[in-house]
Amino acid sequence: MSLRITPSTQPDSTNKSIAETVNSFGVHDTFRYGPKSIATDILPKHPLEHRLKHWEETQTNLKFTLERRIYGIHAPVRQLMERSIVSRVQRAPILPSSNLSLEVLMGKDETIDFEDFLNVPELSTDMMDMHASMEHKLGIKL
Amino acid sequence: MVTKLEQPKGGFNFDNYQRNVALEKKGITFPKMTKTGTTIVGLIYKDGICLGADTRATAGPIVADKNCEKIHYLAPNMYCCGAGTAADTEFTTALISSQLELHRLTTGREARVATALIMLKQMLFRYQGHIGAALVLGGYDVTGPNLYTIHPHGSTDKLPYVTMGSGSLAAMAVFESKWRKDLERQEAIDLVREAIESGIFNDLGSGSNVDVTVIEKGKIDVYRNYAKPNERGVKEQSYKFKRGTTAILKESIRDIVAITEGIEEMDIS
Repeated sequence: MSLRITPSTQPDSTNKSIAETVNSFGVHDTFRYGPKSIATDILPKHPLEHRLKHWEETQTNLKFTLERRIYGIHAPVRQLMERSIVSRVQRAPILPSSNLSLEVLMGKDETIDFEDFLNVPELSTDMMDMHASMEHKLGIKL
Repeated sequence: MVTKLEQPKGGFNFDNYQRNVALEKKGITFPKMTKTGTTIVGLIYKDGICLGADTRATAGPIVADKNCEKIHYLAPNMYCCGAGTAADTEFTTALISSQLELHRLTTGREARVATALIMLKQMLFRYQGHIGAALVLGGYDVTGPNLYTIHPHGSTDKLPYVTMGSGSLAAMAVFESKWRKDLERQEAIDLVREAIESGIFNDLGSGSNVDVTVIEKGKIDVYRNYAKPNERGVKEQSYKFKRGTTAILKESIRDIVAITEGIEEMDIS
């Protein structure tokens, strides 16, 4: 419900925990997720990182807030519902999904941006575990 | 390696930022930002736009390229001069060129210069000047000739004559004294050439040749190396060694023939 045009340079509050990466013994799983230090996690990040990560979200939020004020709550609700329906149609989390219908709704289907040709996910060498990612997505971590 | 749970997003990667900050605290000095230099200009004349650029690419004190191209294609009715980080101007204009082409295919009509301007400034504003592209955008559309400058942080100017880059002061001095309304085509080209040459001779970051692009209604003329005020002089002597300078002490020529015995098994895997 804010009228922010651009995201803030740094996040308002940082909340870090190892809850996402604990193993069955209740400590951080270094084998799966690598070494971790909370101290480095809360150090300031690059000023652009937060801005770029939340750019889309802030712009959409502004658009929906304006629509809500002009047309009433039904306008953003309807759009959010449509987005939520089409964003469910996708592949397993580690496989690429083009999600064309979602791009159409977001007005991104006929644009090209840096993320479309620089450092594209299809060429990434990151190690990804299908089982772990499905467990994570469905919230059934063992 | 760390297991990731989702496909990474494309675009810029900031993974090493915190590591670099930590290293810097430990006393490692990182390479400084490289000083860039260019002269790019543009002016509106009677029936169009005339853009000009020098052709020197610098990497700090080194001349990296003596004849590079700084006037980039944007759309069939638009060109864009780039100053600043060479790769950034190249990719920024290439990206916006692709966007304009998609826009043209969607709408089925020629893109306006203002459209390109808004795309460029919104994109540059999002990256807060970290994309070091200072641009001079010129084109001819339904509203007539349009000329803009775009600064790396996304601010823009709309003026009848503009200059950018480290040689902008030298070039602007020429424009301020000689530009007037409704110049003829040849007068406009000559003035642009003079402005770029003043950048070439008075600014160390600019040099070599003059590129000129003239944009009129439905017609674009690209004059690559329109003027070459810095032709390399001819050497007075030839410093090549004559054939036979090195004495041959002995010579032996052998035929090398490889002989293999037995039958090799065929690879059927």
